[in-house]
Amino acid sequence: MITQQGVKDFLQSGGYIADDAIATAVFLALRMEKPILIEGPPGVGKTGLAKALSTALDFPLVRLQCYEGIDEGKALYDWEYGKQLLYTQLLRTQLDGYLSVSADLREAVERLASEESLFFSKNFLVQRPILRSFLSEKRSLLLIDEIDRSDDEFEALLLECLSDFQVSIPELGVIQATRKPLTILTSNGTRMISDALRRRCLYLYIGYPELEREVAIVRVKFPDLCQVLAQQMVVFLRKARELNLRKPPSVSETLDWAQVLTILQATELTREVVVNTVGVIAKHQTDMQKVTELAQQELG
Amino acid sequence: MERIIARFVAALRESGIRVSPGECLDAVQALALGGMEGRRLSRQLLRLTLVKNFNDIPRFNEVFNRFFSRRQQVDPDLELSSLIDAPLINMEGEFNYLDQLPTDDHDEPGPLLRLDSDINPEELQELKSLTEIDPDDSDGQEIVVQMKGFRGKAKAPRPTRRYTQNPLTIELNKSNSVQRDITFSPEEQAAMQDVVSRMMLRLRKDMRRMKNDQSRGKLHVIKTIQKNYRHDMVPFQVALRRKRREKPRLVVLCDVSFSVSHASRFMLLLLHTLHNQMLDVRSFIFNREVEEITELLANMPVNDLMETIDKGDIVDLDENSSFGKVFLGFKKRYLENLRGRPAFIILGDGRNNYDEANDWVLDEIREKARYMLWLTPEERESWSRGDCLMETYGSYCDKVEVVKTVEELSLVVEELLRDIYADQAHPLDRKRLREAKAAAAAQADNYQDYYTRGAGSVSQPTFEPSGRSHW
Repeated sequence: MITQQGVKDFLQSGGYIADDAIATAVFLALRMEKPILIEGPPGVGKTGLAKALSTALDFPLVRLQCYEGIDEGKALYDWEYGKQLLYTQLLRTQLDGYLSVSADLREAVERLASEESLFFSKNFLVQRPILRSFLSEKRSLLLIDEIDRSDDEFEALLLECLSDFQVSIPELGVIQATRKPLTILTSNGTRMISDALRRRCLYLYIGYPELEREVAIVRVKFPDLCQVLAQQMVVFLRKARELNLRKPPSVSETLDWAQVLTILQATELTREVVVNTVGVIAKHQTDMQKVTELAQQELG
Repeated sequence: MERIIARFVAALRESGIRVSPGECLDAVQALALGGMEGRRLSRQLLRLTLVKNFNDIPRFNEVFNRFFSRRQQVDPDLELSSLIDAPLINMEGEFNYLDQLPTDDHDEPGPLLRLDSDINPEELQELKSLTEIDPDDSDGQEIVVQMKGFRGKAKAPRPTRRYTQNPLTIELNKSNSVQRDITFSPEEQAAMQDVVSRMMLRLRKDMRRMKNDQSRGKLHVIKTIQKNYRHDMVPFQVALRRKRREKPRLVVLCDVSFSVSHASRFMLLLLHTLHNQMLDVRSFIFNREVEEITELLANMPVNDLMETIDKGDIVDLDENSSFGKVFLGFKKRYLENLRGRPAFIILGDGRNNYDEANDWVLDEIREKARYMLWLTPEERESWSRGDCLMETYGSYCDKVEVVKTVEELSLVVEELLRDIYADQAHPLDRKRLREAKAAAAAQADNYQDYYTRGAGSVSQPTFEPSGRSHW
């Protein structure tokens, strides 16, 4: 029996500090076997959550990166045409013998038709990520990353998979998932996801973390960094986020910065340190200026 | 528990959040699984299952707080409790904990919480009078039935809002509707239809030619093999890769403040007529705030929409327009979720009322945009006069056009569409398009002014002494 606190604990063991909302969402997704749709600004740990879950729960991670133009041949399944061709060529003599027994053409056609399914069997089916995760022996974790990059048609394609955990293949029929995977969809909100898809998922919004949680995240990833410095840098970054920057620094930038500061063996956050490492936090020239000004104001 | 959730869902729906029955079931299941140990946990469980949109979260919090704290605020006052649904008050014991007012810091309070508790006895008296039915009224019987129906359906009546809002809006309507007539006459609509259909005809002729040549591309090996299965792999039929051709995407930002209302009026009509013809248009209107009206344009009769805008229901029209604020708001709310590389059209006079210019946002919009076009009803001489920032803003745009008539407007839009298509077109087509454009330009001189064809008194070009509008 899992509880929310349990979820929090095992996520922590996977190196992920979750807040209540995240833990509750994961808990519900596990118990209700429903996909989670995660939205939020880039770099707050949406994909990280999936990775941490996969290590913590020991579910194999099946990742599907979406892009404009992705289709069922790339996401669900595909037929191996080459193999099919090769087999028909190789089996030609076999087929001749098999069909020569029949008295007339009609019978030969019927005989052949009865074996048709041979050429559209699982032998010739290439499993793409979604089908692979459905048919995996162990319960897996299916990560559909950046769903907002795909087209509307692809979203519609996902509806069947996500609500019933099945894939319909015209030649084979409906294939049910052997173990329903824990499914996580992430979106950066570059376009609106349809209501139909939202309805099938639990919805989780991950924003920038609170001060304590962000410090805890830094401390977990970089235990060498001293508590005071971690606190200082997080406080500074939180101020930078309010600057109206073009690309506000998110958690991934915090971690990069923490790494840089560890390497530089900094012990205190001074103006020089910020100015020297500003490229880690700000990713545009105008942003760099603003951050430098902030450092001047805050750190003298 | 199911009953309470159903009522809560009804309250959410009433506040404008779309919740499906399936999600309602999910919520019940989630509560059963997650246990109901505290207000925070229950709120999280409900939010995870019922709210599927980030923008709806504040409203959810608001409804949640209002819904699960009503009992405390209402109990001392028996007058009110007799007015709203009795069963709501008698919440089952299992939900009592939810009624406790938020105590911990993490609890997000809804703004309406305080409003609700502010109801004073006098207001309640007036409220009560609403339910009394005048015996002389011949429609009385019907009203009783309707009210019963309403009470049954809407489980979360909002006494304060219902009381304060209606009289207020009615008054505003009165003062507004006399001053100006914003809706379109049938003749105007027909004329616009005419302008647009002519434009579409011209465009379509070129597009069709281009579409025929569309399937040029590399050989699609798999499709060719599949196609030639029956010919024993001799490639009689060749399949070529089709180039993906997107619908041209267009984003229109339209100023609806009073100074350009005549121009924006026709822009909106043009958009409405264009909508879904061949384009993927996202339309926004602004005055001091910016709001998206794409859905409304597609689903609402144009005159209703104009009235709604004019009433100030979508953006507040009583304030001074501020382009700087609008750009900033647009960046924050919409810029991230624009798909593809849309062409931008901004319609406005660039009069910022001496607010902050925030022109750097335009730089960012430019990066996302394929093309940026600014339409202004003012002549070039007045672009840097007074509070007009047209010179500043114009420097960020690919083109600034002075548009004074509907013909001009449609021509500008047509040219833009042509450019977008040409951008994706094959070099051969581009040449063809250039020729077509030159031909159209030669023709354009002959176009009659839209207004001289008797579109009505409203659209007569007028000259204001301030030099603000030449419409």
